[in-house]
Amino acid sequence: MATMPATKGRFGFGSLLLAVLGALGIALAIYRFSRGIGAVSNLNQGYPWGFWIGFDVLAGIALAAGGFVIAAVVHIFGGERYHPLVRPAILTAFLGYLLFITALLVDLGRPWMIWDMIIFHHHESPMFEVGWCVMCYTFVLLVEFLPVVFERYGMSGALRAWKNLSPLVAIVLLVVFAYLLSHSGTWTVIIAAVLVLYELGIRGGALPRDRGVPTLLIMAGIIFSTLHQSSLGTLFLMVPHKLSAIWYSPALPVMFFISAVMAGLAMVIVESTLSAWFFGRGLELDLLRGLGRGLSWVMLLYLALRGLDIVIRGVGGELLVATPQATAFWIEIVVGLLLPLAVLLTPEWLATGRGLFWAALLVVIGLVINRINVAVTGISGGYWPTYYPRWMEVAISVGIVSVGILAYLAICRHFPIFEEKRAAAGGGAGA
Amino acid sequence: MKGLLIDSVRCTGCRGCQVACKQWNRRQAEKTEFFSGPGYQNPADLSKETWCLVTYNEVKINGRFEWVFGKKQCMHCQIPGCASACPVGALEKLPSGPVIYHKGKCIGCRYCMLACPFLVPRFEFDSPNPYITKCTMCQDRQELGEIPACAKACPTQAIVFGERDALVAEARQRIASAPSVYTHHIYGLEEAGGTCVLHISRVPFEDLGYITDIPKRPLYAGTAPAMKAIPAVMLGAALILGASYKLRNRTRAGEPAGGHE
Repeated sequence: MATMPATKGRFGFGSLLLAVLGALGIALAIYRFSRGIGAVSNLNQGYPWGFWIGFDVLAGIALAAGGFVIAAVVHIFGGERYHPLVRPAILTAFLGYLLFITALLVDLGRPWMIWDMIIFHHHESPMFEVGWCVMCYTFVLLVEFLPVVFERYGMSGALRAWKNLSPLVAIVLLVVFAYLLSHSGTWTVIIAAVLVLYELGIRGGALPRDRGVPTLLIMAGIIFSTLHQSSLGTLFLMVPHKLSAIWYSPALPVMFFISAVMAGLAMVIVESTLSAWFFGRGLELDLLRGLGRGLSWVMLLYLALRGLDIVIRGVGGELLVATPQATAFWIEIVVGLLLPLAVLLTPEWLATGRGLFWAALLVVIGLVINRINVAVTGISGGYWPTYYPRWMEVAISVGIVSVGILAYLAICRHFPIFEEKRAAAGGGAGA
Repeated sequence: MKGLLIDSVRCTGCRGCQVACKQWNRRQAEKTEFFSGPGYQNPADLSKETWCLVTYNEVKINGRFEWVFGKKQCMHCQIPGCASACPVGALEKLPSGPVIYHKGKCIGCRYCMLACPFLVPRFEFDSPNPYITKCTMCQDRQELGEIPACAKACPTQAIVFGERDALVAEARQRIASAPSVYTHHIYGLEEAGGTCVLHISRVPFEDLGYITDIPKRPLYAGTAPAMKAIPAVMLGAALILGASYKLRNRTRAGEPAGGHE
């Protein structure tokens, strides 16, 4: 405990504010469950989806992508120097998904029936795919996070069991998922065979063994993330008649995936910078700069794809007319892509942690704008009056995020998340 | 596959269908205001209590305004977007035609409402225990060998129940027999890949407030390629991850990978 300097001064006002916002959000959520969704929101029959889907679900999930991106960089693609960032990223992702699920319970009309997804399978539905992926991936994140708890309480036996069992858990989840979504024995057997071969290879020594985290567990996290990050885009392929042509593209799933990788990286930079400031610990500036360079490559790829997509589909003309949609598009592109790219590609600005932080923050904001554009701004509800979120909708989302930040800070204080703390906790063989 | 043919030319605006629908489906009366919708239309729109609505439209024909009636209700698509969207299969297309709602399965995600190009499903936003509501083509009456309540009530055969193929032929025949009266478009023949409810009218359907910029293919065609790619994406991802894991860690053969502690 002694390694983490007390930062009561910073904690005082900020956390009080977060607690108040959290309490307000919870109170409004209780009100919503007693009176119905209409009592707190402006959603109507023409706009069944609004701020909650755009911000909590679409943006929230994309911003939690840092967990799988960093895990992939470190454990699969050999970027071992980024190891100190893995645990904070996994924790953020885990909390992010729990928060998103909480928010989804508020948005769903009949959340107590959510178990129906496990019982009734409609594999044609992108929503079914997203639901299952999120359930599986949240479970994978929990399993990935467990070593932190085991280390904290010195449970070395549990840690050993975890190393042996978690790859099997990962394989079972992936195979069940493959069967549910394909309804094809052939696909299921092929996918199962590849995964089992990997595990046998690792156990038999034909493949290298990761001493920290079982590789199959990491792979499961990456595969589930790839699938649902893209499927969130697939959701909107159902509505060519409602979503503006500015955003409606058959490539929407690919765009959603790439922008999630982008936002995930940016979020890791933002969150590391803030937590370094908050806990008064050393900033991994060198590592973050590396991420920043990677981020700029992903952004260039995304920008090129967006541009290409608009040219190929020939909707450039719509961007030059002064409609709310075109304006929202330009805000999204300038704030979320052009400005931060200018910062990231200027060496003097990148050299400072400050420039990197602001660039990453802009990417995060741009991502949120993008998702709200797809879910709300770009949607036409026919003859129904245009939808604007009511303050209570926003307050519930803000409350949920506030509770999440408080939980993150509390966990970072009491568990070995950062490298300094892990060293103090006696190293530990986990990842 | 059964369906309904709705002929706006024969409709007198009596709203017998609207009342019959409420009676059979036990929908409450709504507190409404006269002239809240266009002209004598009442109520203004479909709702959880009103699954069938005669719309009143003043349309200029040959220089003078005339009433032209439309009908709002579920179109019972042949491949319905709502059913493709539903994650739990609460909305189901029956082979006999109706798109029905299993209220016990519904989780309230409202993706069906987003998917529906005709803006038909209604959600009970004012209820803590909300459901989706919409027309069922009186599937329960059909099971008893009866025709839907609206068609039964219609005095002018403006609503006809029957096999969809036969209704398409009937619609074509009605248009062909009075080509100067009807607009030459069967609404629902191609909209959203074809629907079981078909409309014909004397004026273009835009003038009746119908949504007309609807894709000609089923909405499922938009999501199907992405959904079908999922097993291939899984396999591809597994292979790429496996290969790069092997390659990236080859340089340190014999040594455990990733464990720098």
